[in-house]
Amino acid sequence: MTGAYVHGIGMTKFGKLESSLKELLLEACTEALNDAGRPKIDAVYVGNFMGGSISNQEILGAIVANDLGLGYIPSTKVEGACASGGIALRQGLLGIMSGEYDTVLVAGAEKMKHAETADVTQAINAAMDTTTTEKNAGLTFPGFFGVLANRYFHETDATKEHLARVALKNRQNGVNNPLAQFPKPTTLEEIMAARMITDPLGLFDCSPMTDGAAAVVISRKKSPIHVRASSQVSGPTKMQDAVNLLSIPAIGESGRLAYEKAGLGPEDIDVVEIHDCFSMTEIIAIEELSFYKPLEGWKAIEEGRTQVNGEKPVNTSGGLLSRGHPIGATGIAQVYQLVRQLRGNAANQVDGMPRIALAQNLGGTGSYSTVHILERV
Amino acid sequence: MKIYSCCGNDSIAKKYNCAVCGKSEFEEKEVSDDGTVYSFTKIHIAPAEFAHIAPYNVVLVDLDEANAKVTSRMEEDVAIGDKVTLDRIEEGAYIYKKAS
Repeated sequence: MTGAYVHGIGMTKFGKLESSLKELLLEACTEALNDAGRPKIDAVYVGNFMGGSISNQEILGAIVANDLGLGYIPSTKVEGACASGGIALRQGLLGIMSGEYDTVLVAGAEKMKHAETADVTQAINAAMDTTTTEKNAGLTFPGFFGVLANRYFHETDATKEHLARVALKNRQNGVNNPLAQFPKPTTLEEIMAARMITDPLGLFDCSPMTDGAAAVVISRKKSPIHVRASSQVSGPTKMQDAVNLLSIPAIGESGRLAYEKAGLGPEDIDVVEIHDCFSMTEIIAIEELSFYKPLEGWKAIEEGRTQVNGEKPVNTSGGLLSRGHPIGATGIAQVYQLVRQLRGNAANQVDGMPRIALAQNLGGTGSYSTVHILERV
Repeated sequence: MKIYSCCGNDSIAKKYNCAVCGKSEFEEKEVSDDGTVYSFTKIHIAPAEFAHIAPYNVVLVDLDEANAKVTSRMEEDVAIGDKVTLDRIEEGAYIYKKAS
């Protein structure tokens, strides 16, 4: 129990956008502040990964505080690769839990589409341990999950079609989300035939480059959405050091801690946003979070159990694969979708007014994972 | 290949401290470079510094004489279970080839 509540949310359209990193950030923050009724903000945390390397723009925390006229308050930029947003949220929550702050603005933002793919891939590689022989061999993030997928296929009866079914589900969800990057429907055939990125992962198995921002206002003052748990864990930073390649311990351990803090189990979760940076990652994550048994996540996909109308709706926003993946914004965009699910006005609203929601945000190939559990009270 | 061991864990890279006992001294032993393909991928979309050699294979090799894996690059296509051996070290990367 964090004793912190969500008061406001904001999110820009995700995709290829004209706005600068700063403009995206301020747009999402303004929406969240208005949604919260313009409370006095005691601190700002901003999740961002490549503002420095790709946009030559840092000091994002101070820019938010200054341009939004929040006064002489502390502000911090948080970097944790693709988990920058989730970690920023956790830092805001810890600030409230410590008693230092009453109300905190947390945002995440990234601007990627103006740069060349090779340069962005290079910048993303900064989220590896770049001193290793592994990086020198030419491993990439999609490469890691390609290696993992081929081994997963070897040890189970899963095939590329199961990956495609994850991508198809998330695209179908994204089509109904007006803020998602990809509004165009697709087919299993198109996904299966798409060009390879890192075998067996094709174009649709990989999250895209995206511009976008999202923000949330949290406070110790009560609201209908309580943050029931926040957890964070670091795991192995190198593929060759994984004890079990088909397990990402940071996800499993952050999930276990969050369930323990919340006094809940996986069976209590009504709606989920998880970090599907690749279709393969979604299958591993539903296993690590104990929704399904190890090496059986693919069966849940085959049986449609994680669809919007399934027993465990996963990524009703479209996930990273279709909502888009502006790196620093992703962890906050997950919370945006879940708050809307708990408020009852989400894209792909789950039937029966969900009460408990879980967000899992991954950084690197398992270097960081955060889990947040939200509760309608 | 040099292997660093402590508390039952082997690695080709030396860490500052063992995650189990915390000690900074690791047992060092030399083992064969030979191994078996544990898994692999072919990278078609590469970062800028590797774009000129794409597509290339990244292969996770399970060393035959240690409980350790090594991430390598290979020019040949492989399948899980193939026997491989070190060809050369090039710009800090292990380049493997199929065992003849």
